Amino acid sequence: MDFSANHIGFVIASYALSFVCLAVLVLTTLGRDRKLRAEAERLDTQRKKARS
Amino acid sequence: MQFLANPTRFLKIANAVLPYVWAITIALFAVGLYGALVTAPPDYQQGETVRIMYVHVPAAWMALFVYTVMALASAVAAIFRHPLADVAAKTAAPIGAVFCFLSLATGSLWGKPMWGAWWVWDARLTSMFVLMLLYIGYMAIWAAIEEPHRAAMVARVVALVGFINIPIVKFSVDWWNSLHQPASVFRMGGPTIAGPMLWPLLVMGLAYTFLFLALHLTAMRAEIAARKIRQIQIAEIGDR
Amino acid sequence: MKLILALIKRDLTLSMRQGGGVGTALGFFLTVVVLLPIGIGPDQALLARIAPGALWIALLLSVLLSADRIFQQDYEDGSLDIMTMGPVPFEMVALAKAVAHWLSTSLPLAIAAPILGFLVNLEPSAILPLAVAMVVGSIALSLLAAIGAAVTVGLRRGGLLVSILVLPLYVPVLIFGLSASQPGAAPGLTTASLLILGAIALVSLVVSPLASAAALRSYLT
Repeated sequence: MDFSANHIGFVIASYALSFVCLAVLVLTTLGRDRKLRAEAERLDTQRKKARS
Repeated sequence: MQFLANPTRFLKIANAVLPYVWAITIALFAVGLYGALVTAPPDYQQGETVRIMYVHVPAAWMALFVYTVMALASAVAAIFRHPLADVAAKTAAPIGAVFCFLSLATGSLWGKPMWGAWWVWDARLTSMFVLMLLYIGYMAIWAAIEEPHRAAMVARVVALVGFINIPIVKFSVDWWNSLHQPASVFRMGGPTIAGPMLWPLLVMGLAYTFLFLALHLTAMRAEIAARKIRQIQIAEIGDR
Repeated sequence: MKLILALIKRDLTLSMRQGGGVGTALGFFLTVVVLLPIGIGPDQALLARIAPGALWIALLLSVLLSADRIFQQDYEDGSLDIMTMGPVPFEMVALAKAVAHWLSTSLPLAIAAPILGFLVNLEPSAILPLAVAMVVGSIALSLLAAIGAAVTVGLRRGGLLVSILVLPLYVPVLIFGLSASQPGAAPGLTTASLLILGAIALVSLVVSPLASAAALRSYLT
């Protein structure tokens, strides 16, 4: 890729924006998943303990 | 508790499959980006700017594909009352919305150097703008209705009506544009898109698709966990 | 069928007695139409060019803003609940209410708009095509607005949401409505646009009752 080409800023901006948005999407999705599964697990074991 | 019947199987499959999906996604992105940024030649008219195509077009494809997934899931939910169908539709929406936003934003960044304008109301842009509204409306319905079952029922209607509207919008805006003769018509790298430019595009398209798959499965897993939490909390209130 | 007509009549009588709906829509319409020339400025030629579009937009917004009347009251006082159990299929109930809205709000506005067009310097030759296009288009406008009203009927602050939901549906109507309203256009174009507007109205005639009934049922169960 020719970094001195015309309008190269737009190209870099497009890729950067895509990367940032997708990275945020990935991180928030994974984060929410981890948090909720841990919480579900915790409540489940708590409930099993209360029952036994 | 009969809700847990199918989701358990789904979770088993999702958990097994996800690591591979992520691995494939990363590999596809690696290959695709290399193709897009290194091996693909600059366009003889647009120069390096044409490289925006490799993030813009896959995003646009996904925006449309994900909405289709949402509509299909909503139809399955409405007809078969499958409990996971609503989950599938609900969780797909934010992902699709991000893709739609990216297609609009990268399109703008492509349009400015190419057409001299950040935005024009041409057929594709107007249709994608409408699609963005459809995503926002759909997510807003889920957010506005507290009771999950009721929210699901209303959301199905919204998704399906929106889906019917997409081809209508596309047709009407094409009509509108053919009346107005747009000032500049976008052409991709010449009359047809040639080999060295085509394969990175296809690989990037696949990469975005696998990324969606990974994100969607993860989000569904999270949503199932959320529902389980809610069920336990409700059951606890019942116990006391 | 008689029951459906009775329903329409009921809604029409209610809206006339209360006065709110039609009056609000008309008032809003007039506001847009009066403020526009003031906002655009004295350029009469410019005003004449945008007049059809401006009138269409004023019509669209007026119908949209008055749409929550369609189901809101009956939802709140429980009548809608009773109607689900009545002899008339609920989809027909939804259709009847949308038709009542059309008769009481959209249709009168669609007829009034071209006549009031002189306020925005509408070309006299454009009055008839605009009237025809608006009357045909107004059918779709009411039906589509009904979907938005049904989907948000149980929400406390559904106003913005109605606009977001209905706007995508209105885009095709506006596009074809406008191309059917151009005075100097080739007759083929006007006819084609009108036919497509009619087609959209027919599709709405089917989709609106189904979607509205489904959405309303979600709130009523």
